[in-house]
Amino acid sequence: MKGNIELIKDGKRLDGRLPGDLRDIKIKTNVVKNAQGSAYIEWGNNKIIAAIHGPNEALPRHTANPNKAVVKCRYMMAPFSSSEEHGRSGMNRRAVEISKVTGEVFENVILLDQFPGTEISIYIEVIQSDGGTRAAGITCAAVALAASGIPIKDLPFSVSAGKVGETVILDLNKIEDNYSDADMPVAVLPRTKEVVLLQMDGSLTKKQYTDAMALILESGKKISKIQRDALISQYSQ
Amino acid sequence: MRKIVIPGDLLTDKPLRILDAIVEDNKTYSTIIGLYDDEKKSLIPLEGLWYPNRDDVVVGIIEESKLNTETVILNAPYKGLIISKYSESHMSSGDFIEANVKELDKTGTVILTRPKILHDGKIIRIKPSKVNRVLGKANTMIKQITEGTKTRIVVGLNGLIWLNGGNIDLAIKAIETVCKEAHTSGLTEKIGTMVGAPKQPNQKISKETETKETTENNEKTEEEMI
Repeated sequence: MKGNIELIKDGKRLDGRLPGDLRDIKIKTNVVKNAQGSAYIEWGNNKIIAAIHGPNEALPRHTANPNKAVVKCRYMMAPFSSSEEHGRSGMNRRAVEISKVTGEVFENVILLDQFPGTEISIYIEVIQSDGGTRAAGITCAAVALAASGIPIKDLPFSVSAGKVGETVILDLNKIEDNYSDADMPVAVLPRTKEVVLLQMDGSLTKKQYTDAMALILESGKKISKIQRDALISQYSQ
Repeated sequence: MRKIVIPGDLLTDKPLRILDAIVEDNKTYSTIIGLYDDEKKSLIPLEGLWYPNRDDVVVGIIEESKLNTETVILNAPYKGLIISKYSESHMSSGDFIEANVKELDKTGTVILTRPKILHDGKIIRIKPSKVNRVLGKANTMIKQITEGTKTRIVVGLNGLIWLNGGNIDLAIKAIETVCKEAHTSGLTEKIGTMVGAPKQPNQKISKETETKETTENNEKTEEEMI
């Protein structure tokens, strides 16, 4: 969607950030008592709860895989989470798509062969949204997974990059998401720099893509540190 | 020295076989959040799941009673199964039981033996990774709680704990405190003061016999009470 909104003024974005700046991120672990593991994230104006259930017996039984666990992910936006219509009548096409790609991110991360015949459920509930909820959801669910004690080979982080005019920007908010020329959410495993999610709206040149990836990997250090601090802080006195 | 590690953290530059760790490119990485001891090369999980091992003592709830089998809810990925030839008494759905793991069969069912019905009382659920802390070294922690509250307690390695009699509320509060502060030191003294139990002398008992001993001790306590 293109409009006449000037998204970058005097080198600064609408909310005062520079093109390569992240929004403020806060993560808290174990916020839900009855889940195996859970986490709450505040990423700018996004507020998301992620919770992990399982491994449990896979139901219905035909979905079970006798050699490994299956990951079932549900991303849902609460009806009151944004100004648009969301989630009032269950999952819409967008929610189904995000659930699928998020589930695939975690299939690459969890050591599934340790739990044959079971299912691991990941629930991501968006309470308040302001753009970039799938990235924030993946970052939050990764922390919830680690807090649940399910073995994972790395702690993935996710963030989006895009462009306004010819300027590459990081971590798009709602208005930037709607009016920018490209939006590319990426999830990365920080240890190996393996990309486990890459989607894109709009188009980027090769150089813009390289710049965007460089920004994402650089910001990943900050996000990974916030994730680590959130996990360790619950054990420090 | 011990340090807290999170999934993906490098443990050593060598390929070592450590529980809950993976080897990639000849280096060892953690897969869980835990305490890593660099000298002993051991990784103690701070969060974790229960894997059924032979002779584990578990507490469960009978889900369904069929002609000669009973299915048991175990707070684990897998369901428990009691085959009648291993049990003497009749169990009905909703009963609390204590049993030993015989084996984990190929279909992912935990076969249980020597089931005992636990009459009345209530069951609480804790994280399986905290069970060892609730038992304490040589069962000191659980002995304190049992003696201080006069509650009969059976701790299942699967994270279900059955309690009956005495000051149940205080016992539950004590167990919850242990789970909450499991990573801190000086917890035995703190819980001792909380439940008002006499100090226990330290004994060395192998890990496998710990839970069995707990159960026996609890039975004795109940006999004393009677």
